[in-house]
Amino acid sequence: MDQVIEQIVTGLSIGSILLLIAIGLSIIYGSMGIINLAHGEFVMLGAYTAWVLQTYLGLGLLQSIVPIFIVVAVFGWIIERYVLSLLNNRPLDTILATWGVGIMLQQGVRLLVGSELRYVQLPPSLSESVSLLGVSVSSYRVFLFIVAIALFALTWLLMNRTSVGMKLRAIIQDRTVAASFGVNAKRVFSLTFAYGAGLAGLAGALVSPLKSVSPEMGTGYVVDAFMVVVLGGVQSLAGTVASAFILGELSGGIAFLENDTVAKALVLLAIVVLIRFRPEGLFTTRVRA
Amino acid sequence: MSSKPTTVAGPQRLTIEIAPLVIACLIMFIVPAILNNDFLLNKIARYLVLGILTISLALSWGYGGILNLGQAMSFGIGSYCMAMALKLKTIPVHTGSRGLPDFMVWNNVEALPWFWAPFKSLGFALGAGLAVPALVAAALGWFIFRGRVTGVYVAIITLASMVVLNLVIIDQQRYTGGFNGITDLAQLEIFGIAFDAYDRATYYLVAGAVTVSLFVAFAFTKTKAGLIVQAIRDHESRVRYFGYDVAAYQIFVFALSAAIAGLAGMLYTVVMEFASPTFLGVQLSLSVVVWCAVGGRQSLVGAFLGAVLVAGMQGALSETPAFVETWTLVMGALFVLVVLFLPKGLAGFAEAAVAWVGRRRVVPTMAQSLEHKEGST
Repeated sequence: MDQVIEQIVTGLSIGSILLLIAIGLSIIYGSMGIINLAHGEFVMLGAYTAWVLQTYLGLGLLQSIVPIFIVVAVFGWIIERYVLSLLNNRPLDTILATWGVGIMLQQGVRLLVGSELRYVQLPPSLSESVSLLGVSVSSYRVFLFIVAIALFALTWLLMNRTSVGMKLRAIIQDRTVAASFGVNAKRVFSLTFAYGAGLAGLAGALVSPLKSVSPEMGTGYVVDAFMVVVLGGVQSLAGTVASAFILGELSGGIAFLENDTVAKALVLLAIVVLIRFRPEGLFTTRVRA
Repeated sequence: MSSKPTTVAGPQRLTIEIAPLVIACLIMFIVPAILNNDFLLNKIARYLVLGILTISLALSWGYGGILNLGQAMSFGIGSYCMAMALKLKTIPVHTGSRGLPDFMVWNNVEALPWFWAPFKSLGFALGAGLAVPALVAAALGWFIFRGRVTGVYVAIITLASMVVLNLVIIDQQRYTGGFNGITDLAQLEIFGIAFDAYDRATYYLVAGAVTVSLFVAFAFTKTKAGLIVQAIRDHESRVRYFGYDVAAYQIFVFALSAAIAGLAGMLYTVVMEFASPTFLGVQLSLSVVVWCAVGGRQSLVGAFLGAVLVAGMQGALSETPAFVETWTLVMGALFVLVVLFLPKGLAGFAEAAVAWVGRRRVVPTMAQSLEHKEGST
């Protein structure tokens, strides 16, 4: 029984990390139709910002959350403004462009700070563990879970209760009509992309104490986060949450299985079949070449 | 997506289009006469093989509008077909009985698996290197295009399928050599000619294959099916409303492109003298997309030159490690710039320059002129 609960808690913890990363990816894809292959690099940038702030300015992880968000969001804003906004009507080319941007970010970091592994310290106040249902859980993982849920709630509020969110939803429904009502789509897109990037950076910073920080750390995450988006369906933030935790639990369970490779292959196959048979159901907007 | 003029304006137009192909092939055959360095020739042969792979992607992506991010899957299958045949030709030093490949002996495999057995025949292997990638692509294409999956989803499905195959090959070490791939191969020998990787014969074999692939692909784009494929790229629904079976044409071009990639894979094994799971890795597969985009996805020669130049430069710079790091950064930037400002790649740039010099007017395609009219109403 303890083992089952432990397994579930591990799954929840993986799920909350996935959720943190996937929210940004999901709103960027859902609203702008851009598959952001540089998303993993935003995660990486966030982790490195945390490391820089900690090593050179002595800031703890909790104090640096806001600066990290801003730094990575600014990166995202610049990339949207100077690269992606030029590719308005070429959705397929945005995959290529974001991939190129990702390579540049990764390589840039490697040149600047080197490819050695870096480590970020746990906030001292969260390094203990707490007991949940008789199982001892690291309190940092509980903290991650709460942050993930809080950021999800914040995003939901932004989308549904603010004027920027309303404009964004209007653009998603019909860009031309929204524009004729005076909505500045370009500005809203820049803000959305910056917000998504900032969230990814935050996710990277928050995972950094659990994993080592390296220039290529983002690559693995972007694949997993992308699966979350595919499974959950775009424009449904709730779907993203559900699928993040489903995949989290699955990955937790897979760790139990003997053959990791075959399990990975099976998950990929499942995604392929899913896209083939339910593309509209999962992604509400169809992208045509 | 903009397109290359496809309306045939007499034999003169055809001459202009064929000229770059002929020039590229001639240069390729002259090189060994000037260059008396077998090591360098082997390297060039390697880039030429990657060029064939890029031609195959230009065919499906540039002409068919199918962004196949898993193009290296066909390449890898071809490469393994060749490697299996050449492995069975070796005289194993460490092997026990029945001529089992050495890695199978190390993994305690008792008998040759059934899917290895036919590869004792070189003819079968050569056929399989073309047919297996084509059939796999046809099956995958049937799965994708019969469901009318388009755009981004095609890219994801092809990429994911390739990763699955890659994982399976690494996992099934007993039968595939796993992570190490298949190494210590015999030399390819056809009609008494041995193709040593560092021999001129191999270079000419590769150059011949480039020529054949270029002209086969070029000829295909001029056939009726080839024109319909390009029309599908420009406007899928319109072609469907004309009553064409869109999926059938897409599946065909997808399979043809896979067969050419398979050919490239077989040659790669001959040139590199091994087969490895990295041949169907994400890294290579995405690099091919870069080469194709830089060279010009809608020009077969352009894509080919893009691969040879970019891969060649990368290879030349990889001798100095410090440079390689910067090079990756430069390549990323170059790629972004090409995607942004040169959607037709260097070939499009050259074409525009030629048109500007000759003050020729480029004949717009049907779809383009239709769209233009629609836009103006």
